[in-house]
Amino acid sequence: MTDAHLDRMVRDADPYRPEVVQHLDGAAQNLLEEIMSTPTLEPVAEPSARRQRKRRALLSGLASAGVAAVVLGVVVTGSIMNADRPEDRPSTPADTSDDTKPITDWAMVLKAAEENPRLLIDQPGWKATSVYGFTEKDGSITFSNNDRELEMNWYPADVYDSFHEDRLRVSEPAQVTVDGWPAERFQYNEGDFAVMLKPREGSFVELRTGGTWTRAAFDEVLATVVRVDAKTWLAALPAEIVTPQRATEQAAKVLADVPLPPGFDVTALGGLGANDAYQFGAKVTSRVGCAWIAEWLRAKKAGDDDALRRAGDALRSSHRWTVLRQMNDEGDWPEVFWETADEVAAGKPPAKYRDSLGCE
Amino acid sequence: MSSTTEHEDRFRRVYAANFEPLLAYAMRRVEQPEDAADVVAETFLVAWRRSRHMPPDTEVRPWLYGVARRVLANHHRSGLRRGRLGDRLRQRLRAVIVADPGSEVPERLTVRAALARLGEQDRELLMLTFWEGLEPREAADVLRISPAAARTRLSRARARLRQLVGDDADPPGHVFDVLAVRTPKEGR
Repeated sequence: MTDAHLDRMVRDADPYRPEVVQHLDGAAQNLLEEIMSTPTLEPVAEPSARRQRKRRALLSGLASAGVAAVVLGVVVTGSIMNADRPEDRPSTPADTSDDTKPITDWAMVLKAAEENPRLLIDQPGWKATSVYGFTEKDGSITFSNNDRELEMNWYPADVYDSFHEDRLRVSEPAQVTVDGWPAERFQYNEGDFAVMLKPREGSFVELRTGGTWTRAAFDEVLATVVRVDAKTWLAALPAEIVTPQRATEQAAKVLADVPLPPGFDVTALGGLGANDAYQFGAKVTSRVGCAWIAEWLRAKKAGDDDALRRAGDALRSSHRWTVLRQMNDEGDWPEVFWETADEVAAGKPPAKYRDSLGCE
Repeated sequence: MSSTTEHEDRFRRVYAANFEPLLAYAMRRVEQPEDAADVVAETFLVAWRRSRHMPPDTEVRPWLYGVARRVLANHHRSGLRRGRLGDRLRQRLRAVIVADPGSEVPERLTVRAALARLGEQDRELLMLTFWEGLEPREAADVLRISPAAARTRLSRARARLRQLVGDDADPPGHVFDVLAVRTPKEGR
């Protein structure tokens, strides 16, 4: 068989039938209009900035509040770029991977996020430095730009009134708009502001300044805040997080020196959403810790001394788990974990261990 | 003309010129024809969001194939997600396409079966070359390999295909055996 013959055979084997397009009845045009009605705000990946390593009390804070189950979260660095920035260079296909990958990988996150379009700062220089939550109606994202931070917190609409009442005690409200949506600005002091947007679709968002601000600077940034759909928002977050796709690989690292409880399903760790290493480690060790405690309780009840000892040993060994030791530099989760694990291993499971460790 | 209008006009032009090639690209690689609607919709959505940074017209099609390739790969990993966009296109494709393996010419089926047995890169390179009609340097762009590597691999892929076609003259039992990307069936 000659090359030409082979090439022709391959060409002939093309399953596509051009007649298809004759029968689309305007569906192509319809899709074009659908696409062009969506915002074009373009997230552009930048080299990741060194993350601000502030000590995170998030998990222990949540634990003490009894809502540790809400720890689903990510802490990320990213950049939000202005769609109007000048053309610099054509994107290569490689550039688009950040566009598509997180979107589809984060199906879980997306599902919740789709119900709540989010806000971005449509101005160069702002980076998402902390993101967590976004399960349904709530979530928090912090954007940083040099010495300024702008935190955006989403809450369910039913707590709007109580928040609003509180803010009315802060200052007189000034009527403003955020991407065309009515909001009120409150002023804590001459360089510290909050803006509460009116509830919309079951939730509301409050913007809060951190760092060095002036009224003028705040107003200027506020004018660039745009409401975007979930896909755009997710795509604006950087790729260096543990996505479900990477969860198995990262879980293997995290669990390398961690004894696994009987029947522990490592594959279920793909359903943890999207997390940075710290949050992922917290969630994985939460699952492991909860399962070991459940096993300890089962063994205790059943009088299974061997299993009881194994569970106690496993929990005590958590002081040596690499993942927790590494996380200890960054936040309080390991302390919460060890405290609970030690109490269980000592035969006194704390009544609220489920809250402490975020057991489901 | 404002820059916004220019930008929108360009996107319309790009869409018009590339809709069918992208639809064909997607349909060649999905199991259910209507799934191609999701791939096309998501690919052009990415392109729209990136439209201010799209490469020049002469390079835009390989670029779009590159986007579509990643869309497909992601769909493959996580299951094709039914987007809100492209619903009408999906319906039309479902209505228009009736896959009938029995009506296929056996030689085509043999070739597709042989393609299916190749490695993904080899298969994709052949498909991009012979079905999408790309030059090796354009296929290289899509696959993110160097043009030199694309030429070498194309030659190797041809040799492998020839061997497979020669070795396996029996037509396969299923027309879609060639598919590079498997997607879940209907009823999800």
